[in-house]
Amino acid sequence: MNVGIPRALLYFDYFPLWQTFLSLAGFEITISPPTNKDILNKGVSLCVDDACLPVKLFHGHTADLADKVDVIFIPRLISISPGEYICPKFIGLPEMIKNSVKGLPPLIIFDYNLHKDLKGEKIAFGRLGTELGVGGRAIDNAYKEAKRRQLIYRGILESGQNPLSILYPKERWDEKLGTKGTIGVIGHPYLLYDRYISMDIIRKILDNGYNVKVPANVSHSTIEKRLENMPKNLFWSYGKRILGSGMDWLADDRIHGIIFVDSFGCGIDSFVGELLHRYNIRGRRLPYTTITLDEHTGRAGFDTRLEAFLDMMEWAG
Amino acid sequence: MVITFPHMGMMYIPVKALFDELGVDIIVPAKINKQTLETGQRHCPEMACLPLKILMGNYIESIKRGADTIVLSGSCGPCRFGYYGVVQGEILKDLGYNIDIIILDPPSEGTGEFLRRLKKVTGNSSIYRSLKAVKKAFRVSNELEGLLQLVLRQRPRATNKVSIDQIMNRFENRIAASKGADEILACIYDTRARLERVETDRNIKPLKIGLVGEIYTLIEPYVNLEAEKRLGNMGAEVHREMTVDSWVKYHLAPDIKHRRRHNRILKKAEDYLHLCIGGHAWETVAHSLNYAREGMDGIIQILPFGCMPEIVAESILPTLAKDEDIPLMTLVVDELTGEAGYQTRLEAFVDLLELRRSSVSDESGKTLSWY
Repeated sequence: MNVGIPRALLYFDYFPLWQTFLSLAGFEITISPPTNKDILNKGVSLCVDDACLPVKLFHGHTADLADKVDVIFIPRLISISPGEYICPKFIGLPEMIKNSVKGLPPLIIFDYNLHKDLKGEKIAFGRLGTELGVGGRAIDNAYKEAKRRQLIYRGILESGQNPLSILYPKERWDEKLGTKGTIGVIGHPYLLYDRYISMDIIRKILDNGYNVKVPANVSHSTIEKRLENMPKNLFWSYGKRILGSGMDWLADDRIHGIIFVDSFGCGIDSFVGELLHRYNIRGRRLPYTTITLDEHTGRAGFDTRLEAFLDMMEWAG
Repeated sequence: MVITFPHMGMMYIPVKALFDELGVDIIVPAKINKQTLETGQRHCPEMACLPLKILMGNYIESIKRGADTIVLSGSCGPCRFGYYGVVQGEILKDLGYNIDIIILDPPSEGTGEFLRRLKKVTGNSSIYRSLKAVKKAFRVSNELEGLLQLVLRQRPRATNKVSIDQIMNRFENRIAASKGADEILACIYDTRARLERVETDRNIKPLKIGLVGEIYTLIEPYVNLEAEKRLGNMGAEVHREMTVDSWVKYHLAPDIKHRRRHNRILKKAEDYLHLCIGGHAWETVAHSLNYAREGMDGIIQILPFGCMPEIVAESILPTLAKDEDIPLMTLVVDELTGEAGYQTRLEAFVDLLELRRSSVSDESGKTLSWY
């Protein structure tokens, strides 16, 4: 059986886990191609207008897989850390897909909920195995191996490597070793590592002679420590990662500027972006800019804004 | 300590009753107007949802009138409302206001902390007095709900719609001048009697429209551009399950009967959505199904632009409407919503329902009973 995985949303963070599990469980895997104009257009026309760009893209990728695979794997990531959530749209994603995209093959909905405790992960994979009709022993082994590879991936990222160097190993992502300084690029994984939608921002910054740090490079414990003093626990896992890494960079002399990449209509970014912006103004006043992406973002305007920011970096010295 | 709180429809009436009974000084937030929104908008992130901006305007207005403490309820995600308190706190801090924000998160997130914060609000009142005050406030909330439901029922039937506005304006003026739960209750009873005496056309069979959507947008008339009043004046009877009272009964008061009914409605919508995704999206879907099954003529969903949970509901509702064969309209409101366009859409929807009713002919015998 051929299982399709849409290359969208948290695929960029969890592909080792999902891919390894499914392939060890004995399935053939097809991943939708990197976002292109056709996929974007499909997504925009299928999805409700008010949704954010990443969710529209997920619709597009799912539709793209429709006639290529036997089943489509749709994750319902309710929570990836105890006491936290990701975003309401992630929880309702399978329903959005079911109601907006017609003519799909059967969907394998992967309910993943660690809101209570971390045991939820094993349960989730157990259930997934049962749904796919694979027995207990094989599932256990597949899960163990998938988990191991996921942890290796996490380790590589925390050591400072850019996820793009793993997603696109043929290209070099450290060529210039930034002579001019380091820019922290903040954003959700599904924006930063989708090269079509992010206008290849990371490559462009590297080509301009700066190093790039992304939130995935900051360790979980650092983020927890940075957010210790928040008046109320931030209950969005990715909001936490974004704000925590931003706050870490504000306190880090090796970071010389911050670019906040968000998508139009992202509810979480509107809040954490506001907080980070205010913390920056109260404190170190690093060069800081917000670039908002949506399906209408034009390449020229984007490049101009990036160039303007890089010029500002040089003036700031 | 002078307490203020967010403004949401007539929620201020039971809240005022509560604080009056506790003997706590409060500033009742002023009615929302364009100025409130503009003040809020100026200081809030552009992409934030509309309620955040309006509440911010509320706070600043109340602070200028002397409030020094803000009380608001909280939640722990995934809807943005749960983090309102923190973001608003930071914005007020940068504006130079030294304000204490007390966020009442649900007790399930830590009973000790909840009680500690509650104690901050109730001040020195004894437990007996506090409980008595809470009980009275529940009563006010319940009676007020009855009054508001009566308005919804009378408006489409009234021969002179303005008389309803006059009675309700007078009601709010009298509330502003009254103190304590008993005076407020007397006011409610008196207004109820007045509303019942309004001259109505008994032969009218109004269209029945169910309103669903995000709670703040539905309850606060400024935000939904008085959708209920507009529809009522066009002769449609509006039904809305999402009320302050039902929220209170579900979350605060141990009203088992209401809670069971609520859960039963939610469960019926299982085929469309079977879990809470934050905010009130599940309720939106479930209430829509319930309205369709109860024989309403149409459903209108109203949400603020960018509302995360309601977007999910928005993508589910068209399927539901098709399955149940009921007309559905989704209205997205934000600070740029134009009144004329909005009115036109409502009128067009009502026209459509009327045409549909006359063509289908009302022989199904399905009517909605008033509970």
